[in-house]
Amino acid sequence: MMKRFALGDLVDDRPKDGVFRVNRALFRDAALFDLEMKHVFEGGWVFVGLSTQAENPHDYFTGFIGRVPIIVSRDGAGELRCFVNACPHKGVRLVQKLCGNARRHVCPYHSWTFDSAGANKNIKWAKSGCYGAGFDDDNHDLASVARFGEYRGFLFASLNPNVPSLEEHLGEARKLLDLVADKSPEGVELVPGRVCFTYAANWKMQLENCSDQYHFTSTHPSFIRILDQRGKEQAAEVVQSTLGAADFWQEGASGITGGTMSFDHGHVLNWGVMPVSSAQPDFERAEDLAERHGVAKRNWMFNMRNLTVFPNLQVAENASSQMRVIRPLAPNLTEMQTWCIAPRGESAQARAFRIRQYEDFFNPTGMATPDDTVCYEEAQYGMAEQERPWLQGHARGLAASVEGGNDYADMIDLKPARSVLADAQLCDESLFSSYYRAWAARMAEVLA
Amino acid sequence: MSALTQAQAAEFLYREALMLDRFDFDAWLDLYTPDCLFWMPAWRDDGTQTDDPDRELSLIYYRGRRNLEDRVQRIRSGFSVASTVMPRVAHMVGNVLATPDGQGQVRLDSSFIVNVQDVRTNRSHAYFGRYEHELRLEDGGWKISQKVIRLMNDVVPTMLDVYGI
Repeated sequence: MMKRFALGDLVDDRPKDGVFRVNRALFRDAALFDLEMKHVFEGGWVFVGLSTQAENPHDYFTGFIGRVPIIVSRDGAGELRCFVNACPHKGVRLVQKLCGNARRHVCPYHSWTFDSAGANKNIKWAKSGCYGAGFDDDNHDLASVARFGEYRGFLFASLNPNVPSLEEHLGEARKLLDLVADKSPEGVELVPGRVCFTYAANWKMQLENCSDQYHFTSTHPSFIRILDQRGKEQAAEVVQSTLGAADFWQEGASGITGGTMSFDHGHVLNWGVMPVSSAQPDFERAEDLAERHGVAKRNWMFNMRNLTVFPNLQVAENASSQMRVIRPLAPNLTEMQTWCIAPRGESAQARAFRIRQYEDFFNPTGMATPDDTVCYEEAQYGMAEQERPWLQGHARGLAASVEGGNDYADMIDLKPARSVLADAQLCDESLFSSYYRAWAARMAEVLA
Repeated sequence: MSALTQAQAAEFLYREALMLDRFDFDAWLDLYTPDCLFWMPAWRDDGTQTDDPDRELSLIYYRGRRNLEDRVQRIRSGFSVASTVMPRVAHMVGNVLATPDGQGQVRLDSSFIVNVQDVRTNRSHAYFGRYEHELRLEDGGWKISQKVIRLMNDVVPTMLDVYGI
């Protein structure tokens, strides 16, 4: 096979020389994008949804793995399954709805019928079909995805069978999903109401922005000013922000205010110290959480945490709690599906507070996210530059990055591959290298 | 003036639309009561919208004009890149139906299309859906005590602010 791209031309990874650079081509090249879809998104583990999205027997929801439509269905026996959402007959998308409950799925085109476990239950007029022997030998069930697994309610799938176990893929990032799932003994759920938006830029802009502390005070000053003003006035009609009570992003803060951690397989965390305060809806359970999990883990649950599980899941616990799923559509077009993720069983008051904080900051109709997505689009314009292909956006913190963890990681027995402890102005970018190393690993067979 | 004719109801909505088209935000804010509800529900699934704002997510949910004032302040601040090159918008409001509630308030149902020219990227798109206004007489004039915006095309291209709906 002719390998059109050489890794060294795309990612300049020379730790000994203190260099980590990414070529703009990764954000714009159409041929590279096709390879990414096949090898990054359709060639390894990706996040597909939460188990509570199909809670009861025969519940289902639909989505995509890369370009391939899928159904996640809970069968009659209560087992979750994941199929390609395409009728084996003519390839027609079997289920058109986003979610629902059905014992049988009937293809709208020729009425082939499948049960909630994906088994073919009827081929219309099969006996009079004069099929050849070859047809009878075929399997007519829905195609199961090669690998499917759950961790604490988070569902992942892979179209490629040759991947590590889900446990190994997630590795230490499991402990960060635990911090989300353990907020309630009943686990987590999605608040009803999905918010979906697109932006005209590459998917990696979102991947990076979630773990980019450097942008916050530059991109969101209009929001920060409103926070300041609300903080002074304490008006009853406006929602209190979690961020007002924290100083990890404040220029004047001193000492260690947070940092970053990177894990194998491309998962990263950036985090900031946030006090256990009534500015967070979880405050009502602060004591209970400390009793259940110990003070250190409880305090970590209140910290600002932006987690990426490579390549498409982000759980942002900062201004509220958000679950994002990244779906690349083209080199310069990305769809974001976003939900408010919340501990089950929290009080009605805490839930309403969480939702208000969420809408204020995270929605594409809110006061912060639009300033991010517009910046992604502006970056996309600049990705056309070819004279100087190397971006300079992956270099901060390189000299502060150490192998392994630190005291903060030790508090919850977290063992990152690398970590950075930071003051408010360090704003590490070296964690992004974890994304590109995982990207390169998935692309290895097509990169020279 | 204790009741609105259909023609007056339509004119009221046209004026609001014109204020938004012109970014005449002070006049626009002045249409709302201080305790107003401004609500754009999200979609729960393919066919139903969220309807309990304290238990389900909305695209926008504000109780109190103060929140709209914050939005306007952000737009005007000069510190929001999403508001630096302002999109141009043209509202079309139609199918206006006025229903008095018998207690001094009037409910208005209408349809809207907002055509948007995103000047920054030279893209055009349209937002469309239904408005549900409730008007109340305050100091001799009709004010909006409640506005529900039922957005049909909810896959938002990049961003959507209060002037685009």
